[in-house]
Amino acid sequence: MEVQGMKLVLDDVKATLGTWSFSAQGIFDEGLHLVCGDVGSGKSTLALMMAGLLPAASGSVTRDQVSSLMVSFQFPEYHITGTTVHDECKSWGLDPETILSSISLGEKRDRDPLRLSRGELKRLHLACVLANPYDLLILDEPFSSLDVNEKQRICNTLSSRSKGITVLFTHEQAIFPRVAHIWEIREGRLWYCGSPPDGLWNWHHAPPLIRTLIAAGKTPKNISPEDLMEAACMT
Amino acid sequence: MHDIRLRTGAATLLSLVAFLSIPGAIAAFIWWLLFTPNLHLIRKNRLVLPSVILIGFFSVILEITGGGGVSYFFRMMVVILIGVWLLAGQKRGEFLNLGCWLFGNRTGFELGMLAEMALQNLNTLTTDFDRIRAAERMKGVRSGVRSIIPVGRVLVHGTLMRAEDTAELLAIRGYVHGGTCIPVFARKKGDLVAVFFAICAAVIAVLFC
Repeated sequence: MEVQGMKLVLDDVKATLGTWSFSAQGIFDEGLHLVCGDVGSGKSTLALMMAGLLPAASGSVTRDQVSSLMVSFQFPEYHITGTTVHDECKSWGLDPETILSSISLGEKRDRDPLRLSRGELKRLHLACVLANPYDLLILDEPFSSLDVNEKQRICNTLSSRSKGITVLFTHEQAIFPRVAHIWEIREGRLWYCGSPPDGLWNWHHAPPLIRTLIAAGKTPKNISPEDLMEAACMT
Repeated sequence: MHDIRLRTGAATLLSLVAFLSIPGAIAAFIWWLLFTPNLHLIRKNRLVLPSVILIGFFSVILEITGGGGVSYFFRMMVVILIGVWLLAGQKRGEFLNLGCWLFGNRTGFELGMLAEMALQNLNTLTTDFDRIRAAERMKGVRSGVRSIIPVGRVLVHGTLMRAEDTAELLAIRGYVHGGTCIPVFARKKGDLVAVFFAICAAVIAVLFC
């Protein structure tokens, strides 16, 4: 895959932990990349290596023309620096009123973010992260602790991101944004499945609904709920 | 030293003699140099430097206010080095074995489990600290005293939440008091020699006091 412009290159990257090992090779260009894998397959490890927060045992990670980077950790608490919800929004350089009204947390503006429920905190954190235009945005399990409506809202926001590289690590099986590329971690390796719709054929651990649609000869154009609905309604 | 009973015994004895007097600290330090992979331990443990800074700070205050700061610094440093050695060789379940061997399956199990949990939490705290600092850097927060406050807040909050979760989990699983554990200890050739010299160091320290 020859890519010009902004890119993240994994050159035979390897990670080891005791008897467990993991390797990855690939180029991530602008657009939304979905990286799937079972729990414990190495998604978070890869996310950290991509961001340069974890050194690889061998190989190299190169970020070309990437001037701003953000990793959204699985635990949103790690990102908190404000003592109130209002201050937390400000610490991201954002207008609190705009952010809080978009996630219906306006009434809790004076509350300590650490006293929010995990779901509320995740909503707040993702709203702040997604409001900023990072060149490289790595999201580690952004859908955990979110209900279906919130997942859908996050997916819509992700689908509409037009610039930068966005890498979405998840083991979600139901709700996805419209993605540009699908990657999969299995057998201790990162595999490139391809871009939808062709890439769906190579996706070994595709969610049951997508597999059923493909088996019925109704391959969806992409993996967002709208695309799946459209494919399901095909005659 | 593989046997946790000998390791803890030697560490306790050497820490005591090191803390009590300068000759004791010298003897314990020489023992540490001879019987542990000394410099390798320091390089591997990330808590050594913050501990040195913290003790250095209090030693300076002590020296300025009433004297004895230098002595305190040296003695405490040796205690820390012994502690680093004790924890560096720690394996999962060792303190549970030690607790049960010392005080039985009721009180010993409780104490051993507490020690295991505390050590597990120490490792988690180090990982959490790294993640929080990385998150701060990405957010553009400059390093300094002001950046430490949110780190402390999140660490304390996380620790309390984990403690609550663990307590609930134990209660749900029907834990009331004590448990059953058959302690197993491994011993390496040379363990007894190291312990013998630890006792010698302690005796020499007492004689020179």
